[in-house]
Amino acid sequence: MVGTLAVVVALALSACGKSVTSGGASGGGSAAGTAAEKVYQQLNGLPANQQRAQAIAQAKKEGTLELYTSLTDDVAAEVKQAFEQQTGVKTNVFRANSETVLQRVLQETSANRTGNDAVETNFGEMGQLSKQGVLADYRGAAFASVPESGRFPGWLADRLNIMLPAWNTKLIKPGQEPRSWEDLADPRFKGKLTLELTDSDWYENVTKSWLRHGKTQAQVDDLWKRIVANANVAKGHTVMAELLGAGQTAVDGMNYSYITQNTADKGAPVAFRSADGIAHTIGFARPQGVALMKGAKHPAAAWLFSDWMLSDGQKLLVSLGLTPSVKIAGDNSLQGVTLEPYDVQGLTQDSKTWDDRYDQLLRGLEQIGGD
Amino acid sequence: MAITSAPKRRALALRPTGRRLAQVARELATPRTLLVGGALVIVGYLAVVPLVYLLHDTFTGPAGLSIGAFTRAYSASSQAGRMMLNSLEFAVGSGALALAIGTLLAYVQVRTDAPLKGLFFAASLVPLIIPGILYAAAWIFLADPRIGLINVVLFEPILGHGLFNTFSMWGMIWVQGLHLAPIAFLLMGAAFRSMDPSLEEAALMAGAPRHLLLRRITMPLVRPAIVSAILLMFVQSLESFEVPGLLGLQNGIYVFTSRIYFVLRQFPIDYGAAGAYALGLLAFAVAGVAASGWLSRNARSYQTVTGKAFRPRPMELGRARPLVGALVVLFFAVAVVLPVAVLVYASLLRFYSAPSLDSLRTMSLANYRSVLHTPLAITALRNSVVLGVGAATVVMFLTAVCSWVVVRTRAMGRRLLDVVAFTPLVVPGLVLGLALSFVYLRTALPIYGTLWILLIAYATRYLPYGMRYASAAMSQTSGELEESAHVCGASWWQTFRRVLLPLASSGILAGWVYILVVSFRELSSSILLYSPGKEVLSILIWEQFENGQFTTLAAIGVCMVAILVLLVLVAYRLGARFGVDDSSR
Repeated sequence: MVGTLAVVVALALSACGKSVTSGGASGGGSAAGTAAEKVYQQLNGLPANQQRAQAIAQAKKEGTLELYTSLTDDVAAEVKQAFEQQTGVKTNVFRANSETVLQRVLQETSANRTGNDAVETNFGEMGQLSKQGVLADYRGAAFASVPESGRFPGWLADRLNIMLPAWNTKLIKPGQEPRSWEDLADPRFKGKLTLELTDSDWYENVTKSWLRHGKTQAQVDDLWKRIVANANVAKGHTVMAELLGAGQTAVDGMNYSYITQNTADKGAPVAFRSADGIAHTIGFARPQGVALMKGAKHPAAAWLFSDWMLSDGQKLLVSLGLTPSVKIAGDNSLQGVTLEPYDVQGLTQDSKTWDDRYDQLLRGLEQIGGD
Repeated sequence: MAITSAPKRRALALRPTGRRLAQVARELATPRTLLVGGALVIVGYLAVVPLVYLLHDTFTGPAGLSIGAFTRAYSASSQAGRMMLNSLEFAVGSGALALAIGTLLAYVQVRTDAPLKGLFFAASLVPLIIPGILYAAAWIFLADPRIGLINVVLFEPILGHGLFNTFSMWGMIWVQGLHLAPIAFLLMGAAFRSMDPSLEEAALMAGAPRHLLLRRITMPLVRPAIVSAILLMFVQSLESFEVPGLLGLQNGIYVFTSRIYFVLRQFPIDYGAAGAYALGLLAFAVAGVAASGWLSRNARSYQTVTGKAFRPRPMELGRARPLVGALVVLFFAVAVVLPVAVLVYASLLRFYSAPSLDSLRTMSLANYRSVLHTPLAITALRNSVVLGVGAATVVMFLTAVCSWVVVRTRAMGRRLLDVVAFTPLVVPGLVLGLALSFVYLRTALPIYGTLWILLIAYATRYLPYGMRYASAAMSQTSGELEESAHVCGASWWQTFRRVLLPLASSGILAGWVYILVVSFRELSSSILLYSPGKEVLSILIWEQFENGQFTTLAAIGVCMVAILVLLVLVAYRLGARFGVDDSSR
């Protein structure tokens, strides 16, 4: 037993003397990175009309694309199929929730065994990967179409998750639905409201928006206290949407509009727009992104995927009911929706404080005054 | 040991030290030492890797050693006190409920002539097979105060309001207890099966009333199994997430695992705090192992499988027979028929809604079609079967050997072995996944990205269960049978294979079945370790869950129940051929 222990300890310590967990991932790109980065630079530097053909030719020589993503399964399957059809490059997809995608990439890069070529996942996780220095820039032809607000160090937004309240149209009469975030604090939703356990970025955005629009910290705290007093807590947005459709709860304080829409498309009595076709609450759009790995084994395939995802892929997302980051004709996911900017900076710098504050709020602890 | 054939030695030709060394080597090279030593090393290795990882993360800060993680995890604002009380209440409550149900069912099935024994099989295994997420969701649709079918159909017409609330502590205990009862059923069933009833018969002859008999004779005889069952269920309730996640949060009932979940999805992830919670769990669990060791002292007194022959004879229930039959039917209806019916109903809908003419009109088999057309369904099923059978076999073999060491020998450190083999139970699945990927990304062996890493993960996770099942079975078997085999000239390996394993087989088979079934559900470490092409069923289920395809998920659940019931039936039929008692069916 002691021997085993010694072996394990030795193994743990021999790992470059680095933290056992996520730390030290920054080295991931340095060894193989140069090779992949050279390919990226070469493709970025070609005339726009030659890039795609060159990338396809090189990617086919490389053989496959290894993609890690947190796109939901149904969407990921369509993306894989369309990408393979249009480029002829075979694609292997590892699909998991965003935290797992992050963990896997960090584990692999820290061991200098980058397993994926491209990654497609949520805002927060992309930020972490970017901080670890394992991502490389895509600057191909499609870059220009990504709006300024969707460009981040090392990654680009390819889709948006729209945060809005949702309700059961059988349980909430027309006109009674929430028409602003403040409405969630109204006594008419007592016991009828559900909040999600981990929506701290929503909490941050609403809080800052209220402060921006002239509310005092005391007013904001009071509103949140009343919202929580109205609410039950659930885990997972899709569960919330299912329970909303089944009438177990009457209102979801916040759900992503595409989840609400998908549930409604199946015939469930749920909506995020009022009867007049307008979402009266002002939503926030969280960018989700796509990036190239510095340590990619199939760099041309990775580059091709980013290029495709930000052009042809955007049309596919629209057809699947998602909100693309690039303006696409025929996208009506934002019809009747008004948006405020998502607080990219605040949440990049300090998401943990907001995680903690939201957690404490839900558990009914005294709100710690604002900052 | 003297039995192993020694070659002719040229002892005289060797110098004294060389001779001694050779002798030691020869003694060490017996099959027994090799096997036992090998098993110990493997078990130690499996258990210690994640533990070291956990400890390292918990006790190191930016500036070397630190206990900052504990300060963060158990600070006033984390409401650690209330959280621990909730956890305890939940774990003790559901453990007690599961023990009561499982023991009663096992006793009635194995030791009485109760009718409808076929139902026991389903009643005891189906809740185990249904993934926790689905079981909890089914109970939401049954016992939600507003839309729960039981409330709407039964109680609202009479009382004007619902009676049950699945989102309370009692609701959580109910659901978790039913879901855990199979562990108790399997363990206790195995114990009752290997119990010599002659002591009971003697007591009856002496005029002892039934209740006294149960309390003074039967229960004490199966104490090792009871203790093992309590320990497993207690720790598993502490560690499980589905029920507290789906049912507890609604009314703000937080437990250890809701905290761990929360901590593990923050940025940056506070592994230290998660580790501090996990070590809190570990402290509870070690106390449990110590207590169970203390309770199982005087091990000889539970050994009813001795050199004397016995044949368990079912107790005649007499007039109570119809009543017991009715109770069995009732339990079967509540624990199996209702939840499975809700799942079947949901699997025929496009989205869940309470039964009505409208919802009946939309029913179709579309969800089953989409399950069949899921491209990965066949791959995932194959991988799950391979891993389930593989993990169950590996674990039960290893733990049979290890529990022999713990129960039968006086080897130094055997208590430590017991504790070590127990630790994987409290390592959160995600942390286990991280630990394994960390280790195998840095070894040259082709393990990362293959099914092997999943097999290692499963073997690690289910080690504690195997250990409980195997040692409960070993405790009941007396050493004298091995000794007589020995005297008759059998080698240790022959004794182990031909005497010990068959005698403990009902316990070992119960453990095997349990591990097979739960490995189909394993998710939290699989999700980090699987690679494209190496998907397993639980991953597929989780995908459907995350994608909000609840009704498709229900269809997968229904298929899983069908497949596993079939697998388990086959296992028991095979088991019966190798001498497991017939009453298991």
